[in-house]
Amino acid sequence: MEHVTEAIEIQLKKGVLALCVLALLSRADSYAYEIASRLAKDIDMGEGTIYPLMRRLQADGLVETYLVESQSGPPRKYYRLTDAGRGSFTQQKTEWAAFTRAVDDILGAGA
Amino acid sequence: MTRDDFMARLRRGLAGAPAATIADIAADYDTHFADGAAAGRSEQEVAAALGNPDRLARELRAEAGLKKWEEQKNPSAAAAAVFAVLGLGAIDIIILLPILMSVLGTLLAMFITVIAGVIAGAVVMAAGPFFDPPGGPLTAILAGLGLMAGSTSLGAITTIVTIGLMNLMVWYGRLHYRLLKPAIDPQG
Repeated sequence: MEHVTEAIEIQLKKGVLALCVLALLSRADSYAYEIASRLAKDIDMGEGTIYPLMRRLQADGLVETYLVESQSGPPRKYYRLTDAGRGSFTQQKTEWAAFTRAVDDILGAGA
Repeated sequence: MTRDDFMARLRRGLAGAPAATIADIAADYDTHFADGAAAGRSEQEVAAALGNPDRLARELRAEAGLKKWEEQKNPSAAAAAVFAVLGLGAIDIIILLPILMSVLGTLLAMFITVIAGVIAGAVVMAAGPFFDPPGGPLTAILAGLGLMAGSTSLGAITTIVTIGLMNLMVWYGRLHYRLLKPAIDPQG
């Protein structure tokens, strides 16, 4: 039973990882380490996975990067949402809300 | 594992990819270590949180190979995708090689048949009428055209089958990601 729970958990996280990144960026521009540590802490995601994900979001035109000079070390690469990214976030957020409401209803009815 | 170990293994694993890509990826992970250090974490901690660099490199390369195939369906991209999946260690090469060879052989034979058919059709159509064929010159021209049309459609079918087989392999290869799976699996 335990591995079934784990499988469900992985599937759930997989689906919402990109949504979470878009959500964080919709509040403020950020850099990969900040996003990774936030997600690793809150939803227990492997930190290394953030970079391929950001690459994919960038290739899909949902985020773009710009460099910011930093006092220590080389300039830092920041990510911000594009207009397409903002649109995709709004749409996914709506879908997510509808989905979780439906699941909540079913869970509530079953209790 | 120290930061240097991690970076060395990552770079070694990425060898063969375009230099700009390697530099890009390496810079990302290098910054991650620097940020981790600034946040008071040890190199070992950060490395453990990132995962096995050999595996990470293999999956990054595989993804690059598979993506190339999805963007441009040509023979060189197909070769890149095949090697990407092999590099993933997803399929035992001892098992795959005979299958791959026979599939490649069959496809090659079909393409050669197609080319030969088109050439033969062209010859029959162009030269046939001058050799007083049975049924007259028009028959030869039509027969030549028919031969070319038939070969072309066989070629089209072979191409569709080839692309289908490649896509199947790409799908199979993607099933074998471990570290990157949540991040780059296209979400439904």
